Amino acid sequence: MNRRGEGMSVYRVTALVVAAALLGALAGGWAPAPATGQAAAVFRTPLGGEPPTADPYFATDFSSGDLTLLMYNTLVGLDSAGRLVPEAAKSWDVSPDGLVYTFHLRDNVYFHSGRKVTAADWKWSFDRMGDPAIKTSVGDVVAGPIAGYDAQQKAGGGIAGVKAVDPSTLQIVLNPNSRGGFLNRLAYYAAVVLDRDVVERGGRTWFAARDAGSGPFTMREWVHNDHVTLAAEPRYFAGAPKIARVELPIVTEAQTRLAEYQAGQLDLVAVPLSDFARIKADPVMGKELIVFPRAQIIWLGPNPRVYEPFKDARVRRAFALAIDKAKIARTVFFGFYQPAASIVPPGIPGFYAGYKGLPYDPAQAKKLLEEAGVAGKLPPLTMAMNPIAQDYEMAAEAAAAMLKDNLGVDVRLQRQEFAAFQQGMNRRTVFPAFMTGWAADYLDYSDYLDLLLYSKSPLDRVSYANPEFDKLVDQANAAATESARTALYHKAEALAVEDGAMIPIVFTQFALLKKPYVHGLRTTAALSGFLKFNTVSIQK
Amino acid sequence: MLRYLAYRVALTAPLLLGTALLIFLAGHYAPGDPVQVLLADHYTPEGAAHLRHELGLDRPLAAQFAGYIGRAARFDFGASYVNPARPVAEIVRQTLPVSLRLAALAVAAAALAGTALGVCAAVFERSAADRLIQLGVIAGLSVPSFVVAAVLVLLFALRWRLFPVAGWGHPSDYVLPVAVLAAAPLAYVTRISRASVRRALAEDYVRTARSKGLRRSAILARHVLRNAALPIVTTIGMAFGYAITGAFVVEVIFNIPGMARVAVDAILQRDYSVIQTAVLVYTAIFTFVNLAVDVSYAALNPRIRY
Repeated sequence: MNRRGEGMSVYRVTALVVAAALLGALAGGWAPAPATGQAAAVFRTPLGGEPPTADPYFATDFSSGDLTLLMYNTLVGLDSAGRLVPEAAKSWDVSPDGLVYTFHLRDNVYFHSGRKVTAADWKWSFDRMGDPAIKTSVGDVVAGPIAGYDAQQKAGGGIAGVKAVDPSTLQIVLNPNSRGGFLNRLAYYAAVVLDRDVVERGGRTWFAARDAGSGPFTMREWVHNDHVTLAAEPRYFAGAPKIARVELPIVTEAQTRLAEYQAGQLDLVAVPLSDFARIKADPVMGKELIVFPRAQIIWLGPNPRVYEPFKDARVRRAFALAIDKAKIARTVFFGFYQPAASIVPPGIPGFYAGYKGLPYDPAQAKKLLEEAGVAGKLPPLTMAMNPIAQDYEMAAEAAAAMLKDNLGVDVRLQRQEFAAFQQGMNRRTVFPAFMTGWAADYLDYSDYLDLLLYSKSPLDRVSYANPEFDKLVDQANAAATESARTALYHKAEALAVEDGAMIPIVFTQFALLKKPYVHGLRTTAALSGFLKFNTVSIQK
Repeated sequence: MLRYLAYRVALTAPLLLGTALLIFLAGHYAPGDPVQVLLADHYTPEGAAHLRHELGLDRPLAAQFAGYIGRAARFDFGASYVNPARPVAEIVRQTLPVSLRLAALAVAAAALAGTALGVCAAVFERSAADRLIQLGVIAGLSVPSFVVAAVLVLLFALRWRLFPVAGWGHPSDYVLPVAVLAAAPLAYVTRISRASVRRALAEDYVRTARSKGLRRSAILARHVLRNAALPIVTTIGMAFGYAITGAFVVEVIFNIPGMARVAVDAILQRDYSVIQTAVLVYTAIFTFVNLAVDVSYAALNPRIRY
């Protein structure tokens, strides 16, 4: 190779490297610009992650739930105050024994395909919810109390207790043991009607390209890991939405969501707790902040199966007495959360308002430990923390310090990923204690006490097994009137609190940031804090 | 040369297999599985067993691994465990080009600017410009990318509103993430090219060229750069590796729908099929880039032959 040629090769290689990099960069050209949202009729709020599904019967995580909520209809809905309101059913009758519900359907509810929703569609939908062959995530929650559900689980087929009397009348017969709070379950956002044609024709992944709903918005576009666009459905029974589109960008980081809101790229976001104080003090954003109660409790689970001393109820009580919840609410959560005396949060019908629970009383706590014979002898305790929300970790750090100061127990905090934490809780034999939270799926007592502490519940992760508690819950569910049911639930709740079955710490709140030009947003204590966006309007 | 190339390419097969096995075992022995994530607070033992069976997670580990490798050899990577409606191959097809484009832009920026700054610093050694560049190099190497990102977002997106905070699609979306991703490789390329050019400038042939009366630019272009190029090209190759791994931070911060962000989500959700495939793809890319750098040596320096 002569010198000249050698020289050429240097430039050729360098040029090639750079050219290859640039070509790679430009290959495929620029993607089209996303909608900027400058048009007044577009409302932009983020999803916290790529939705694992858009099938409402499996949509139990926040991203999938936030998405499906907007496209589907339930029989019974909730208003902002948490009251039950008619949705796809215009009215209903309940038999005197509380076992037979007759729903009168609206005659102006249409699927997005244009077909009218009939009682037969509801019947098919309930059958699918309970179908043991696909095991949906909502079967137990919604269809569980219906007569014939248990038989369906064994033999398949439909649920005998659901009947389409005529195209506009749906009858549901309940199992006598579980008559309480059924309407609250029906208001669960996933208890929706599906367009059978779409589901059956679309195969296993029918929800990937379109929806089977009758809600105010319909799926226009789903660009995975990037955004979902919904278009307004002009035939929505409650009137066409006031916005033309909902843009749901998928933004996984809370800080990025907040920054995008600040930069005007989003219209509504949740506030990360660590930024709450700063935002509240901000002259602009402080005015855009909306704060309201959330039906969520942060609680500490003492696990007697792993930590021997917790087998003694006096020890669990002592732990509850040694944690100053009011101080945690005031200092750790800037007075933004409320100390929790009971388990079921305000916002759930029948909230136990006058109940005082266990006070903060370190002296009494020490006395209880002495009575139990473990004072000064408690082995180190590892407390696992649910990583899904920052506030669980904040509560755990404070509680651990208080337990150390007041009881002299050496508490070690354990941080891990969500998948590992969830597995540890579900196995029940892994964590000696854990700090986590519980938010309502549907606004009813049963979504707390029956699920979290009833001895046969798969979610009784503290392995609480008190026959008296179980009996009270059973009686509550079979109670003929709502007031009798509530009274029994209150007894059960007080028993569990005083037993130290779980240690309530605080009731939480939602903090959202909403641009001043967004009007008509309806908030709720459940879900992600908002109801369907059909009443939202943008007035810039 | 061809024999060497064939040898190197053949070596990737066992490499990929080994990585796949390692990551498979690590994933399955780490606590937690996709079933926990999918069911979350709707967990029941029966529901979990049903789902585990449906996903094939109840089969023996060896059978699961063999099945995956068998299909992967035909470029069928199965479906995502967490988003069962999405084939992994489709996820890669949609997200990999985004990550590659981001990395390529960052490397191009780092290569061009880094070489220019390095040459400038070497030619004007000990001048104020040189010192300023050196200071920038230290900052670029020592400040972590998430700090650079935060500062750039605060100034350019939130204060001056010049670029979007996050997102991907419009050309203006590219500026900040590329700048963050290019910062460290840029500093590295600058440092290496400065050192390399400085060394070449001190060589006898440069003095000879100068005494012949050649113009300075001609000396730089024809003699100095050519001889200084080898380490610079190596560094640019390494910069590509850095840009690919740096994307794990940058894609998350700037909400870019690339493969790194998908891989981070997959790890947190124990989405085994996506994790394994992402690792395979990254291993293949790294192997290819290293090979390309080695081959470019031969082209640059006639003394190197394989």
